[in-house]
Amino acid sequence: MIVNSNPRRTRTAQYLLLFGYVVFLGFPLLWMLSMSFKGPRELVQLYPSFIPEDFTLENYRLALTEENHQFVRSAVNSLKVAILTALLTTMIGLPAAYVLARRKGVITRLGIGWILISQMFPLILIIIPLFLLLRDLKLTNSHIGLIVVYNVWALPFVLWMLYSYVRGIPPDLEEAATVDGATRLQILTGIIAPLLLPGIVVTTLFAFITAWNEFFFALVILESPDLTTLPLRLAQYVGIEGVVRFGPLAAAALLATIPSLILFTIIQRWLTRGLLSGAVKG
Amino acid sequence: MRKVIVLGALALLCTVLVAGAQAGKQATVVKLKFATYVWQPTTVAANKHIVESWNKAHPGIQVEIVPVDVNSVHDKLLTSFVGGTAADIIHDEAADIAGFTQQGYLANLTPLIPKSLKQSIPKDIWGTVNFGGKITGVPSLLQTYNVFANMEIFKAAGIKAPTLADPWTWPEFRSIAKRLTTSNRYGVCWGLRSPTAVVQTMSLNYGGQFFYLKNGKWQFEFGPKDQNVVKQMHDMIHVDKSVDPAATGLSGSAVLPAFFGGRCAMTVAGNFTAQSMILQSPRGFNWAMFPLLKGQTQQQVANPQTYSISQQSKNKQSAMFFLAYLVNKQNLAKLALGDWLIPSNPEAGQLARKSTKRTGSWKIATASVVHFRKGNWVSLADYPRWKAEVSQPAFVQYLRGSISLQELEKQLSDGWSRIRG
Amino acid sequence: MSTVNEVGQLPGRRPRNRAGAGLSGRETMLLLIPALLPIVILSVIPLVRGIYLGFTDSRAGLGVPTTFIGLDNFRALLDDELFVNSFKIGLIWSFAVTAIGFCFALGLALLLSQELKGRWLARSLALVPWAMPSVIVGIMWKLFFQPQAGILNEILRRLHLPGETTDWLSSFSWALPAVILVGVWAGMPQTTVALLAGLQSIQDELHEAAAVDGATAWQRFRTITLPQLKPVIIAITTLDFIWNFNSFGLVYVLTEGGPAGKTQLPMLFGYSQAFEYGEFGYAAALGSVMVLVISAVLVFYLWGRLKETR
Repeated sequence: MIVNSNPRRTRTAQYLLLFGYVVFLGFPLLWMLSMSFKGPRELVQLYPSFIPEDFTLENYRLALTEENHQFVRSAVNSLKVAILTALLTTMIGLPAAYVLARRKGVITRLGIGWILISQMFPLILIIIPLFLLLRDLKLTNSHIGLIVVYNVWALPFVLWMLYSYVRGIPPDLEEAATVDGATRLQILTGIIAPLLLPGIVVTTLFAFITAWNEFFFALVILESPDLTTLPLRLAQYVGIEGVVRFGPLAAAALLATIPSLILFTIIQRWLTRGLLSGAVKG
Repeated sequence: MRKVIVLGALALLCTVLVAGAQAGKQATVVKLKFATYVWQPTTVAANKHIVESWNKAHPGIQVEIVPVDVNSVHDKLLTSFVGGTAADIIHDEAADIAGFTQQGYLANLTPLIPKSLKQSIPKDIWGTVNFGGKITGVPSLLQTYNVFANMEIFKAAGIKAPTLADPWTWPEFRSIAKRLTTSNRYGVCWGLRSPTAVVQTMSLNYGGQFFYLKNGKWQFEFGPKDQNVVKQMHDMIHVDKSVDPAATGLSGSAVLPAFFGGRCAMTVAGNFTAQSMILQSPRGFNWAMFPLLKGQTQQQVANPQTYSISQQSKNKQSAMFFLAYLVNKQNLAKLALGDWLIPSNPEAGQLARKSTKRTGSWKIATASVVHFRKGNWVSLADYPRWKAEVSQPAFVQYLRGSISLQELEKQLSDGWSRIRG
Repeated sequence: MSTVNEVGQLPGRRPRNRAGAGLSGRETMLLLIPALLPIVILSVIPLVRGIYLGFTDSRAGLGVPTTFIGLDNFRALLDDELFVNSFKIGLIWSFAVTAIGFCFALGLALLLSQELKGRWLARSLALVPWAMPSVIVGIMWKLFFQPQAGILNEILRRLHLPGETTDWLSSFSWALPAVILVGVWAGMPQTTVALLAGLQSIQDELHEAAAVDGATAWQRFRTITLPQLKPVIIAITTLDFIWNFNSFGLVYVLTEGGPAGKTQLPMLFGYSQAFEYGEFGYAAALGSVMVLVISAVLVFYLWGRLKETR
């Protein structure tokens, strides 16, 4: 925490600035909230008002029940894929990050190099070969295929984060444990993991969000409507020539956002309780 | 004794027949995948109903619907073709299947189409899916561009609406637009964000095809008959000042708020916009859809939705059976009503008209079938690229007044040379 | 980043880093394999294949053969004015979004680490863009910018400010700035969180000591906060730049690269080449060039920064 000994004037300025940020960040969301309660006639009105004149819950009803509750199904799909991706990625990534942080040498340099380089690659370069590879492995149009792709896609960033966190832990503890005769596994689960808990939480969260919001891979890999994820479902509200069904779209988008927001609000308290001290170091 | 033998023989015969039938059933259930991008809830329901009724009546050929997102039809189809996972029956549109035909992904339907189906659709519309003698799609639904008018404004100004027997010509359209332009109202709000389609479709009013076959190659030309419509549009914006200049930024549906708000007397849009008019206009809003505008003719380019069969399909014959059912006049009428589009089969059009209460716009819509003609550009494989990279920006700039007619011609022509290679 | 010591090297400069904690070769492999295997199969191999595609004439078509054509794609790219344009737009976009986004995020992070009332609201809101798929962010802002039924022009009208009829996303001059604004909004969470975490790891004692010594907030910021924050700043701006240059979904939904290519980022151009025209080889070549450009910019940037820290 930065110690504050500022005079009142600076305080006011700070509050004003904070208010500005709140408006900038929250306004589009509020507008969408407003639109979600408007009927189709009001949505094409020439001089829109902020508060709905014709308050209706029809959009929400439509969003949830249309096409046999497709929205709920796609939300469940997204949840399943995102959770599995987050867990798998962290489980795979933690041991690897540990190695990268502890063991110096060629492998480590290659690993870190790969992490950095793979961040740079535009999807356009991989998507066709990847698609053909998945087709040969019979993994197209399946959640498993998607999860596998997401894992590989999220791994570099996850490795990077966990790598930074592990480096923040002094190795003396492990050395002491080794001297005491602990196995590698015991060190990992007994010492590293507990110390790294906030870092792991943040990393898992990153992986979850990445998978939850992802659109491009899902678009190319998935075909069946039963398998569709939330972003794909939301994009379907746009008809031809941009005839967007604003009402149901706004309602669906908000519904899709609420769980993430709640999740974030809970986690962010953790973030700022100082549990991250020492975690992020270049 | 004879009775026993006869009964025995009968029993044996029955057993053999039943067993044979069972075996036959198990051996020949054909499973077809039908990829379609229908998205309007009404059309989705109609489509589902059609497929269900087919499946019930034809246990040997079962069809499964594979929905495709309407915004990424081309891309999804391409990936499925490349990946070898394409459906058997494919829903697309004529201008799009040109490319796929050239790439060899669509089956040649010419030998497969039943005669009755062939005869139910006008020759001119078949022309749009004929690529050098190969027909690779069955045309289903089409649209026209019509003028929509705010009848309150017309009444107040004492102007009569055009009728089917007495449609407006372009000069008449222009003069009335000018008359109806006042200090706080435009004659026309026009959604010209992607003007190529409307310009090239309506240019057929003066016979403008833009692309002509010369010496075995498709050349781009921008002569007087090709220029006519776009020049009139430009002049309406910049000379008559009867069209809202914000037009080139807005899509067809985005101008509706202004139209409903009385900011303009008319708008030009696809005939299916009648649905938006009904669903979204304020209560009591008095609107009408007018018959096609007339240049030398009322002809407009046909760019129908199509149903094709994948070249990689193993059941082309069965797919065609289903296809013929899908576009028979009853089913086509249902699909047309769902999408507010015009059926390619005139009899289906009549059926549609009879089954709806909204006869006004449907009468005009179905009467347009006779005016559809083939546009050369619909069948050119390089056209989509030229349209996206060259003509859209060029037309937009011209309509905004940023470039002159000569510059427009140069950009369009050079662009075509570059792309065609 | 600290220097890497080889295992077994005599403790010269930093005895702490002597840890390898005795990781045996076998242990290393065992721990790495679960991550290594999928990466190699599903990332490295397709990537190599993708780069190779750039040197072929691979394109869509039933039974169309793929032949090696060397540098032809790259030559064609350089001649293609749409390609050059997309790179120009890409660089402008990346620099603008990264720089502006960084300033905004830093300001927010600084504010959030002050003891202000109601900062929980700002903190939660700062994460909102993350909670929404980029497709939805795009659609939401599209609604915001819509000229006639959108709220921005309505606000301008009520405040009697100019521009109430502007169609922002279709304007030749305003489309890119509008899209950049959305990019900044969408990028706030990651940068803010990273900076916030970095800020909080800075020891308080240093600040208190400096405050007692009479240093102003600005001086404290410059001499204590900023230097300690540097590694985080470098890391996050680097990543942001890369992500922004490679961005696709957001701008695709907003403008599809229009009007007339004014917002066509390289990925958008590549996408249309691959998925609309089926020009796989050409698109792959484009991808390779994108990587080269990013690398060049990064080398330049990181070299400069690292020189500073020495």
